[in-house]
Amino acid sequence: MASSATDLNHKDLNQHLGLEVYTSNALKLFMEHLDQQPQSRLLDVGPVCQENIRFFASRVWKHYVCDLFIRLDRYIRKGDSVYQIWKELDYHPESFDGILVWELADRLDEQDVKRLVTLCHSMLKPGGMAVVMVMGDQIASSETRSFVVGQNYRIYLRPQPHLDLPLRGRQNRDVLSMMTPFIPAKSFICRPGFMEFLFQRE
Amino acid sequence: MLKKSKKANVESKVSNSSVTMVDRTIIGDQIYIEGTIRGEEDLLIEGSVKGSIEMKAYHLTVGSKGQVEAEVHAANVTISGKLEGNISATGRVEITKEADFNGEIKAKSISVEDGAYLKAVIELEREPTQKAVPLGKPEAKAFSEPTKEPLVLAGKDSKGN
Repeated sequence: MASSATDLNHKDLNQHLGLEVYTSNALKLFMEHLDQQPQSRLLDVGPVCQENIRFFASRVWKHYVCDLFIRLDRYIRKGDSVYQIWKELDYHPESFDGILVWELADRLDEQDVKRLVTLCHSMLKPGGMAVVMVMGDQIASSETRSFVVGQNYRIYLRPQPHLDLPLRGRQNRDVLSMMTPFIPAKSFICRPGFMEFLFQRE
Repeated sequence: MLKKSKKANVESKVSNSSVTMVDRTIIGDQIYIEGTIRGEEDLLIEGSVKGSIEMKAYHLTVGSKGQVEAEVHAANVTISGKLEGNISATGRVEITKEADFNGEIKAKSISVEDGAYLKAVIELEREPTQKAVPLGKPEAKAFSEPTKEPLVLAGKDSKGN
């Protein structure tokens, strides 16, 4: 079983959590938003990650995890239509105060990105927020990696070798364009190659 | 078949370099049970169970061959097979990378391996609330309180099969 990050000294953290990358300002703001909501509900679309489940589930009222990465991987391996993964997001409209999209959009084609954005917009409550991560060309990798949240919002990238997903890198302007139904709340260049976006539903 | 691992048929596990004898019942992979299971010892399910499982002070394990559709009340739960339903655990829930879980988890703590096939609603015992000092301007937008819960995870074919 994986050890808790808090059980490990700093030297071991990179090995345990993955490559340490940066401190996430977007997640800080995102959690501040959730802290202000009574009985906050958060949706995380994966990949499943113990550290993130512990981090978020201990801070929100209900933490929903629906790992779309592994579902996408299985549909692709079976040669099935990717479109089927959207039936997994069978939540009522305006269910969530926040959605962690991570870099899922970079694993989808344009048609499915539109579907994802439409669903996220529908599932978020008015004022709800979504976090989108983008890795630039110098960082992007066909290897799927999870964004592992460590202490003080340190972000680590941990390879997910069980996932074999296509990478469709997007420029920052593409991200702003694809999230058109949302209001861009904040964006951060965390370090070269990494951008975080915080979007809000009106 | 149903097996009881006691005395001559004892299972052992190593814990802190010592060997601890563990009594537990095993529901074998050729067994199908529908109804309520109540128990006063640990249980390993490798077969199929549909209904409810109540063993509040003990450990339920759904083995890699196990297929369970049930409401579960246990002290600790380990899932390596398929479980659809809601779990209420006073202790820890462990979900291994072989697991396929769809449902709600209420527990004191949780561990999840990368690669687990998971669709869940998770409620853990919460830390004392610490209101963060806002970095940016607060989101003052008012919104209506939810009138309904998100749909709960009813997909029969959640594994994509």
